[in-house]
Amino acid sequence: MKTKKIFRLTLLLVIATLICTACGQAAQPTIKIGVNAPLTGDIPKVGEGSKFAAEMWLEEIGGELEVGGQTYPVELVIEDNESKAESAASVNQKLITQDEVLAIVGPQSSKQAVPAGGAANDGQTPMVSPWSTNPNTTLNRPWVFRTPFLDSFQGPAVAKFVTEEFGFTKAGVLYDIASDYPKGLADYFKQGWEDIHGEGSVVAFESFTTGDTDFSAQITKIKESGAEFFFTPQYYNEVALIVQQARELGFNQPIVGSDSWGSAELLNLCGEDCYGLFYSSHYLAENPTGEAKEFIEGYEEKYGYVPDDVGALTWDTMHIIERAINECGEITGDIEADRTCVRDALANIKNFEGVTGTMTFTEEGDPIKCALIIKIGDDGSKSVYEQTCPEE
Amino acid sequence: MPKKIISVGKKIWATMTGWLKKFWSNFRDVPLISWLVAFSVTVALEIFIGQALARMVGLSKPPALFGVALVLDNPAKFLSAIIYMILVYGLPVGVIAYLTKGVGNQIAEWLLQFPLLLTSVVHLLLIYGVMHYWTSISDYRLLVARLAMISIIVTLSLNVVNGYMGEFSCSHPGFMALGAYVSSIFTVLLFVTDNRFGDALLPAFLGPFMFPVSLVLGGFVSAAGALLVAIPSFRTRGDYLAIISLAFMFIVKSLFENLEVVGGARGISNQPDYANLWTIFVWTVLAIWIINNFVRSTMGKALNAVRDGELAASAMTVNTQKTKMVAFLFAAFWAGIGGGLFAHVIRYINPGTFGIRKLAEVLAMVYFGGLNSVTGSIVGAVGFSLISEALRPLDIFKWIFIPIMLILIMIYRPTGLIAFREFDVAQLFQPKGKKDEEGVDHAAA
Repeated sequence: MKTKKIFRLTLLLVIATLICTACGQAAQPTIKIGVNAPLTGDIPKVGEGSKFAAEMWLEEIGGELEVGGQTYPVELVIEDNESKAESAASVNQKLITQDEVLAIVGPQSSKQAVPAGGAANDGQTPMVSPWSTNPNTTLNRPWVFRTPFLDSFQGPAVAKFVTEEFGFTKAGVLYDIASDYPKGLADYFKQGWEDIHGEGSVVAFESFTTGDTDFSAQITKIKESGAEFFFTPQYYNEVALIVQQARELGFNQPIVGSDSWGSAELLNLCGEDCYGLFYSSHYLAENPTGEAKEFIEGYEEKYGYVPDDVGALTWDTMHIIERAINECGEITGDIEADRTCVRDALANIKNFEGVTGTMTFTEEGDPIKCALIIKIGDDGSKSVYEQTCPEE
Repeated sequence: MPKKIISVGKKIWATMTGWLKKFWSNFRDVPLISWLVAFSVTVALEIFIGQALARMVGLSKPPALFGVALVLDNPAKFLSAIIYMILVYGLPVGVIAYLTKGVGNQIAEWLLQFPLLLTSVVHLLLIYGVMHYWTSISDYRLLVARLAMISIIVTLSLNVVNGYMGEFSCSHPGFMALGAYVSSIFTVLLFVTDNRFGDALLPAFLGPFMFPVSLVLGGFVSAAGALLVAIPSFRTRGDYLAIISLAFMFIVKSLFENLEVVGGARGISNQPDYANLWTIFVWTVLAIWIINNFVRSTMGKALNAVRDGELAASAMTVNTQKTKMVAFLFAAFWAGIGGGLFAHVIRYINPGTFGIRKLAEVLAMVYFGGLNSVTGSIVGAVGFSLISEALRPLDIFKWIFIPIMLILIMIYRPTGLIAFREFDVAQLFQPKGKKDEEGVDHAAA
């Protein structure tokens, strides 16, 4: 009796399967691009910026790419990594083995990009991080790339700019020791400054911890150390507090920043205190020209705010991958061969004109690109003051 | 009208549960060994025809985690996923478990005459075999399985303090961090040539053999850290311990953030890939075995006595101070082992990983699974890991769904899913279906 029931059930399922076989057609090869982004967790805004930029790109290309005379539908597989290191690694693992993506964009912050890069490298899938600046992300990993410039370039570039512009010799640094981006950049700035001015020329190297809002002790120390300016590679919300407190404490020397200052929110929070300051950046959202203008205006119209640097970098990353696929010439359908082809193309991209500058890639996976020095004018307008490029 | 709907709903619910119960009654006398055999066959089936079958039902690949993520991503695939799950998992498992229950019971009966150790080894080998081949299909499964097993170790060790001892300790991420850093420093310093610690000091082939040493070292450092919390805090109880242990967690985090030698906020990467599936499996089995024996020993009973009434326990000659101290250090040791394994799976650690979010995750696993229960911790750790992985496509709604689930569990089962239950290995391996044994079953439940 029971066996009969089971038998009937089996028969039913087999028939259902056969029916489904008839309706399921052989799928046309699709180009899948994975996006591994922190949509929830500590930095949802960053994940959102990346997601929006990637979706805009998909819309721009009309959901399909022409490779070697044949059009393929393009699909974005956007996954949330909760801004956790282990989730970023499992998301990459999922994108590589389950979704079989051709390339991965993300993760953004280094604490996720380093472990995720390991997974991508082991899984032999090209990955391009649009935001990570930790050298370990791409170090000894032929399959991992990034689009932002490295801290080891940006730090010394700012040091060089200040030396040439102001002729200062004593520097102070104020940074968040618990967050890896400011910490790394502060170290490289110190190194760059001491290369120019000698040991001990960074007279104050003060730190605080994420979430602190009172910086008066550190600023007082910097002031008393005789620093002629200080460098603070912090995020825009902290920058506003730091600059305002420095002015209240009577520190009237320049304060210099890094690409993390590059948000439209900065001046809303900081106001007149930030007028006249300099910072380094990938791009300038104000008064854009050419393709950048198209991107920024399109983004603002669609999502209601000016894209931050992560949006612009993701936009460039998508186009770099698009170009690599194009240069590849064909999609064979054999995912491993296609991935290898895209990786080789990525490693040989020369003079890519993006929203965030011109990039050239090497086998190391890090771009050779210029940094912009932005000046915040006395009327609150931002303009490109200078461009520093890596030495050939 | 609504009343009518409710009453119809209730009727449907009753019939459904009735059917389920009737259906399940066929499987009540299936011993564990038959289930394992059934799962082995399923896994073999998936390896050999999984891909073809998936194509046939309109999926591009066999779903990694029972198709939940797949369906959430693309609801149109619902039917395909269900058919696939039934054909590959449901049907073969059910049929084979049902058909082999007679033989299975005989084998289980026969195994009874041997020492328990042998029976356990046979079962464990079967379990490992199933896991090994199940994860060989996709690296994603492999990673999820490895992380889930590490969660088991950490959850179990926290359950010793929060469940068996009845205190509320928040320092587990701190212990994990200590274990993770110590074992990472050990392996990276000795066996890896990198830009932080320089050349490898020992030849790489020794690495896998020394890996257990690094883990145990990490465990001992964690236990030493636990001593630092225990000495000032065990004169206090309840909320005070929670606060002191929370403070300890932040101290450990700040310590590593400010220690430039171990990378500060940038952390350590390049850990060698020693924590493969079987290594973690062995450690997980060890953890379950040792912790289970610990909580069932006199010490474990003393621990329960301390939880239920410290004064009474002390009047009954329980050395409460010592009991609490040993349990706390013991829990910290295992958390350190878990941390060390974790570091070698992710192969990158930074202080930020071992913060308040890790704490929330581990606590959720403990309270989801059930206090004072080894089975509960296993169910909690695996269940929570799988749910949180499977619901990933929901993005932000995942963080609405999971808390609601936890709230519901706290309302309907305030101590967790499977709380206050002993984990008896011998009983697990027993042949099932005899009248007298069923009585034992019910008593234990």
